[in-house]
Amino acid sequence: MAQFNLPPNSRVQKGKTFAAPAGAKNVRRFEIYRYDPDSGENPRMDKFDIDLAECGPMILDAMLKIKDEVDPTLTFRRSCREGICGSCAMNIDGTNTLACTLAIEDIKGDVTINPLPHLAVVKDLVPDLTHFYAQYASIKPWLQTRTPAPPDSERLQSKEEQELINTPSACILCACCSTSCPSYWWNSDRYLGPSALLATYRWLVDSRDEATGERLDELEDPFRLYRCHTIMNCTYACPKDLNPAKAIAEIKKMLVERRL
Amino acid sequence: MSLQSPLGKALGHGSAKTGLDHWLAQRSTAIALVPLGLWFTVSLLLLPHGSHEFVVAWVAEPLNAILLILLVIALVYHSMVGLQVIVEDYVQGGLGYLTMITVQFVHILLVVAGIYSIIVISLGAGQ
Repeated sequence: MAQFNLPPNSRVQKGKTFAAPAGAKNVRRFEIYRYDPDSGENPRMDKFDIDLAECGPMILDAMLKIKDEVDPTLTFRRSCREGICGSCAMNIDGTNTLACTLAIEDIKGDVTINPLPHLAVVKDLVPDLTHFYAQYASIKPWLQTRTPAPPDSERLQSKEEQELINTPSACILCACCSTSCPSYWWNSDRYLGPSALLATYRWLVDSRDEATGERLDELEDPFRLYRCHTIMNCTYACPKDLNPAKAIAEIKKMLVERRL
Repeated sequence: MSLQSPLGKALGHGSAKTGLDHWLAQRSTAIALVPLGLWFTVSLLLLPHGSHEFVVAWVAEPLNAILLILLVIALVYHSMVGLQVIVEDYVQGGLGYLTMITVQFVHILLVVAGIYSIIVISLGAGQ
């Protein structure tokens, strides 16, 4: 059965509260999921009161301020701080997104931060993405051809052909979409999820790729592709404004086209 | 414990190379149910009286019997593939297989019973 309750050792408990320094002018509360596997304790929600007058504008700025000034054990991934690396994907205020591109002022009231849903947690806001990356690898995300490359030039594309892959290849593999998808929650062992399917679509519509048939063969499966029921959480969650739901619908159309 | 590689785990048993037929069946029966469902509802509402004799006489008419059999087939098939999707979503492993077989048995029973009833009424009322 799909598991709807957290196992007893994963149930979230109340955590500590860290008050804002005296004289703080513009205080905002951040409730952050904490889990330390070495402690043997259950996860907890710690509350941090932060003076926004002394803090950068983005969620990631507040988290770095907490790590620098309040609790250095707070653990999360981050790198580029401009929405291109995909490291700081987490569930903020109930939506999967990037901490670096979400402004604090765009959230009303307390800011709740959880790790990406339905993944094993390594520590605090760091989820285990091993399977997610393995699924990406499984779709062979590289150019496959039978025609040898021209000896003295690149494989050419027309402007229109290039534009087809322009948007889907902007995916940064942050996993916001896949971990917002209930089908991925219940069946991620076999369902590829919106991220890997969008990545496959990027190669399916690449005019230079000559493995379209093989790629479609690999996708036609009740679980790999057809677990998508078009609820479009993925498109809603994508911090890069991509449209995985549409890509999946296009894949289903391609399968129909080659049959009918 | 498993030392299988993450890629090996992701690849699993490979693609079943099926699923499109199921997807098409769900959509084609849905489309068929629109006119058939409308016809059925409107026809029943237009009956002068909802009594047993009127309905039996209506079912007995050849065109009505044929369309009714089509409605039963489309409805039951649509219900079966739809429930199969829900079972695949939420019930895994041995319990999943068992639920799936039960769902299919019940639906086959329903479609056979439905068609049999229509034929019996249709032929019986003709005597």
